[in-house]
Amino acid sequence: MREGHIEQVERWARFVKENPTKWKKIHTDFIDALFEKHDSFRDKLLQMPNGKEKLQKLYDIRNKEGYGWLK
Amino acid sequence: MERQIEDRNILDRFCEEFCAVVEEHYKYIVVSGFLAIASGRTRGTEDIDMIIERLDLDKFKLLFEDLTKKGFVCMQSSSTEEVYDYLKDNTSVRFTWKDKELPEMEVKFAKDVLDEYQLKTRVKFELTGLDVWFSNVNVNIAFKEELLKSSKVLEDARHLRIVYAEQVDEKEVQSVKQLIKRFR
Repeated sequence: MREGHIEQVERWARFVKENPTKWKKIHTDFIDALFEKHDSFRDKLLQMPNGKEKLQKLYDIRNKEGYGWLK
Repeated sequence: MERQIEDRNILDRFCEEFCAVVEEHYKYIVVSGFLAIASGRTRGTEDIDMIIERLDLDKFKLLFEDLTKKGFVCMQSSSTEEVYDYLKDNTSVRFTWKDKELPEMEVKFAKDVLDEYQLKTRVKFELTGLDVWFSNVNVNIAFKEELLKSSKVLEDARHLRIVYAEQVDEKEVQSVKQLIKRFR
């Protein structure tokens, strides 16, 4: 386990335990930001040459019918 | 504790929507990292892992049809038979919302006594605010500490040990670790 980082993990876990109504908003903003970042990466990649193929390969999508942007 | 709908992040919404469909057809559990994340661990993930009871093709067809109607697609194939064959061979299959490559639900059939044990002892966790069945906290900790062991996963276990301190039963953790040594 990464030394130093584990203290941070433990400190946040204690915050979650002691503040059951406060942690979620912070957490939701963090998780949603990751997916928003992914969506903008995806949009950029789709505009690049072979972007569609790269994305298909990245996510190993074999069912093209399910993803309109692959058609 | 009832959480507000607007508190739900994209993983929460995806997981609850998917589980609500599966619940109508199969007994399921969400396993691996998502319990730690849904319980406040601040790390990213692209997929959620689910184990479902092993059932026949006819019943699977009904589930597949229902998932499709509710806006989910399988990344490997749109053929029910092909997807069922993957599952039957203990290969996981991945579902997403239509037209979205993320997040994914990685689904597999229960394959041994450990998976059966997890299904039998499944629980819902108030802290997550989600109407979702998870494998219990002791099983989660045992898998992370005995089998998976990466830094990220050991930190997940530490997080679970703190937020669910009252529910951790060392006897069960140890007995699941013994099962893991025997079957995995």
